[in-house]
Amino acid sequence: MDSVIVAKDLTKKFDDFTAVDHISFEIKERECFGFLGPNGAGKTTTIKMIHCVSPITSGSVTVFGEKSHIDNRRIKRETGVIPQEITLDEDLTVYENLLVFAKFFDIPGRVIKERIAELLDFVELDAKRNSKIDEISTGMKRRLLVARALLNKPRLIIADEPTTGLDPQARHLIWQRLRSLKSQGTTLILTTQYMEEAEQLCDRIVVMHQGHILKEGTPRKLIQDEIGAEVVEIRIPEEEDDRLIAHMGDASCGHERAGDTLYFYCRDGHELMRKVVDLNLSNVLNRPATLEDVFLKLTGRSLIE
Amino acid sequence: MNLSYRIYYVFFRNLISYKRFIVPTFVVSLGQPLFYLITFGIGLGAYLGYFGGKPYLQFLVPGILVSSVMLSSTFECLYYTFVKMVHQKLYVSMIATPVSAEDTVAGEVAWGAFRGLISGSLMLVVAMFMKVVPVSIINALLLLFLMAFVGTLFGSLAMIVTSFAPNFDFFNYYTELIITPMLFFSGVFFPLDKFPDWMKVLAKFLPLTHAVNISRAAFTGETASGLTNDFLYLVLLQIAAFYTGVKLMKRRLIK
Repeated sequence: MDSVIVAKDLTKKFDDFTAVDHISFEIKERECFGFLGPNGAGKTTTIKMIHCVSPITSGSVTVFGEKSHIDNRRIKRETGVIPQEITLDEDLTVYENLLVFAKFFDIPGRVIKERIAELLDFVELDAKRNSKIDEISTGMKRRLLVARALLNKPRLIIADEPTTGLDPQARHLIWQRLRSLKSQGTTLILTTQYMEEAEQLCDRIVVMHQGHILKEGTPRKLIQDEIGAEVVEIRIPEEEDDRLIAHMGDASCGHERAGDTLYFYCRDGHELMRKVVDLNLSNVLNRPATLEDVFLKLTGRSLIE
Repeated sequence: MNLSYRIYYVFFRNLISYKRFIVPTFVVSLGQPLFYLITFGIGLGAYLGYFGGKPYLQFLVPGILVSSVMLSSTFECLYYTFVKMVHQKLYVSMIATPVSAEDTVAGEVAWGAFRGLISGSLMLVVAMFMKVVPVSIINALLLLFLMAFVGTLFGSLAMIVTSFAPNFDFFNYYTELIITPMLFFSGVFFPLDKFPDWMKVLAKFLPLTHAVNISRAAFTGETASGLTNDFLYLVLLQIAAFYTGVKLMKRRLIK
């Protein structure tokens, strides 16, 4: 498949601060590509440069063969953006929000009504079409943002943390909608801090930290490469680490101490668990490795403000 | 300047939103100028009697018309634009569509001018009820053009202030220190010829002075000397203010 988005040495500086530092990546047509990273990693800045609302300091990114630039209306016309913040027009109703945005995209008057009706149906908001924005729930607002991003039938959808602050029902509904768009042939870019979201939706992800791309690959491959198959968490005082690791002997595998917990990352946790059972420790958890382990290993476990 | 016909779409957005606020905004935009018209026009006018051969109200109305345009378009492009930009974050999603930052700002200036035109027209209707009427239909049309123009000018000037306003309170500097004094230094309420020279010079720099001169001429059909200069000054200021306002706002909207 062809790459529809190609970034080379993409860099963004705000005065002295480098938000995005010479990153390169390619996104293929019909792919869901995820940017993962803690707050301030540069995810949002990166996607803003892709969809032409933030000037590029150096390097370049092309979308559908066009160079991204803040004055490039052609890329914007092909792109639907689901923003991180709820940027709905609070002075207007649900229907009017869509109507105004349909105009922004030059959608002809005779198809606007039909398109809006389809989309309200798609995000299950038809009953709320005449409600004011402050009368609907956060989940509904997020769904309306999804509908708004689809008015122009975009080839590319950019979803910036689209399920922040949602309950599980609403989150799953958004995921289903995004998956159905992908199956219809839309290319999807997602930023998220929810690892489950990335595993649910993304074909490929990059983990970003402090403006750099640390790793790139499919979620499964990243888990295997970085962590293995299983994780054993043992909650013991730090002083006992050495003794415990020595006790594990051959069964021991990659380990990391974080706060009150010692983590073992294993291809197979059986051997290790047998040794642990001998010790009769009380606070032990053996579980499959997840993307969250990868994320924490790569970006560190300390708080990032 | 990446401007396009999409300015209209921004205007259209405001029009849809406006239909809900139409009555309160009518009341607000009529309020202050109407208050001047009644207190000064009728109250003070009763003592002044004739003023340059005309009743005082005749003198006052043309100035009040453009002042009400100035106030409306200024407030629209200060407070309402600020709310849309900072509180509602409306422009963030607007500029992610084919509507450019320039279209967005120009659309808001056009909207500010439209709001000014509405205020001025309402005031004109009130004045006509008070038997102060433009000499002909042509003159009335000229006045409407002037109002739209003055609205664009003050909308653009307000955009410059909005582009670097950190918060709402900041607007007080502009409205209290520039806009309100301008009302009294621009020959709205009395002719400027008794001012000391330095005040006359100051008044010449104020755009409202020139707008009042043109408005008075358009109202009565009596051409006065210096009208060409008035017009030229406003046009040049308008071009500079619009260009600067759009550029500065773009810098704030796109980072």
